Amino acid sequence: MSDTAILSLEGLIIGYDDPLVEPISLEVKPGEIVAILGPSGIGKTTLIRTIAGLVRPLGGSFELNVEPRGGLGYIPQRLGLIRHATVAHNVSLGARMRVKWSLDMFKERKERTFEAIRTLGIEDKASEPVRRLSGGQQRRVATARTLAQRPELMLADEFLGELDQTNVDIVLGAVRDLVQSGTAVIMVEHHEDNAKNFATRIWEIKDQRFIDLPIDEWVKYHSEKEEEE
Amino acid sequence: MKYRLFGIILFLLFIAWRTLDGLVEGDWGRLEGGLSNLVVFFEESMWPPNWSVLEARSYPVCEEEVGFFCSVGYLGMMETLKIAFVSTVLGFIGAISLSSLAARNLTPLFVSIPVRVFLSAVRSLPSLIWAILFVIVIGFGPLSGVLAMTFYTVGYLGKLQYEVFEGMANDPLEAGRAMGLSRPSIFFNIVIPENGNHLLSQLMFMFEYNVRHGTVIGIVGAGGIGYYISTYLKFLQYDKVFALLILIFIVVVLIDLLSLMVRSFVNEEGDVRKPTWLTLLMKARKRKQTSVEEA
Repeated sequence: MSDTAILSLEGLIIGYDDPLVEPISLEVKPGEIVAILGPSGIGKTTLIRTIAGLVRPLGGSFELNVEPRGGLGYIPQRLGLIRHATVAHNVSLGARMRVKWSLDMFKERKERTFEAIRTLGIEDKASEPVRRLSGGQQRRVATARTLAQRPELMLADEFLGELDQTNVDIVLGAVRDLVQSGTAVIMVEHHEDNAKNFATRIWEIKDQRFIDLPIDEWVKYHSEKEEEE
Repeated sequence: MKYRLFGIILFLLFIAWRTLDGLVEGDWGRLEGGLSNLVVFFEESMWPPNWSVLEARSYPVCEEEVGFFCSVGYLGMMETLKIAFVSTVLGFIGAISLSSLAARNLTPLFVSIPVRVFLSAVRSLPSLIWAILFVIVIGFGPLSGVLAMTFYTVGYLGKLQYEVFEGMANDPLEAGRAMGLSRPSIFFNIVIPENGNHLLSQLMFMFEYNVRHGTVIGIVGAGGIGYYISTYLKFLQYDKVFALLILIFIVVVLIDLLSLMVRSFVNEEGDVRKPTWLTLLMKARKRKQTSVEEA
């Protein structure tokens, strides 16, 4: 796995009118899994949307070292699915980003699409419109779209919400495979247990402060804090 | 809440009444005898409808086996339908190209505003005025009708389409943008599939609208059944006009049913993917029964 940073933040200030968090400077390397924790409305989504290029930073800069076409995968909080299109169409959007023009382009695109659909266990829903699926199934479709895309950096905003433990295991298993091939993951997460079991690094936002710790240190830091209290 | 709504409706009715009174300058005597005049006109000039409009014309000589296919009603209606069909298809293509540029959530303001102004300018002239303009420029006939209604369709449908695009949820667009999809790719792979239901519904509505207006623009010489209506009006043959109006009504109802069927393929509720005529009629009957039970 390459050691070059996929994402570099240099004094990044996020927010819409006023800064939400202190300036952030850090790097994310391939294969890292970062979970962003913190209470609601603290700036987790704004941070992820800023990295996705959807919100302008108030200051500082960030550099994405990924391919401009399909190098970044993004699962928004509301999943960003096309409700009236089929599951296969939604997933194929991810596949089309990375398959280069060739005679076998359509075949390869189809193979990638159905591989992702099978991995997430939604092959019986492939020709169903997304609007007819349950919330949990829709989350699996959004994950399959990113899986078919095989991005270098995956951004996910609470994509494990509404999923039962079985589905969480299926989705995280699929994302783990992606990570093994070098993808870095930055995910907003509400459940600390999911973050502890899956992430290698935690970003915690609290009272406008930004804490960046490897998972072991973060667990230690929290257990010490709990003991003090 | 109920009383407030009732009060607002009463107030609006009062304002409307006062405005109308101002418009007619208090001269309500003109309405006197209006209904009886209408009854006399209908009984003496329009009733019964003259169905000879569905028989073969004496000239040119009919070469079809069934005379109906050489009738004024059939030929005029077919020409109107053809004008409406061609102008709806051409107008739809023009409208969707422009509306994709006019929607503020798909393009920057410096692109969307000029396109919106252009669409407003095209829409500000009714199809009848467009028809008169094209009759002056290229002469009588169906081509003037096609061009007139194509222009109007672009203006009208373009507005409906960009409003639908602007009303769609933002998250699929954001996901597409973050992934690196190009603007055309976002439009064809996200915007069109997400709004297919609305686009189809608007397309069918526009076709029906163009059929109805195809009859009007014929009156100024832009082809179609309106040309014959205009001729019969000049010769005071109101019974033939009435027969043609009944024919137009039947065709419009048929298009409405066709529209209902086409739209059901992509219905939001849509488990009924392919309704039959029977199920459509049964639904209507069921609705009627329910309303009777409620009463």
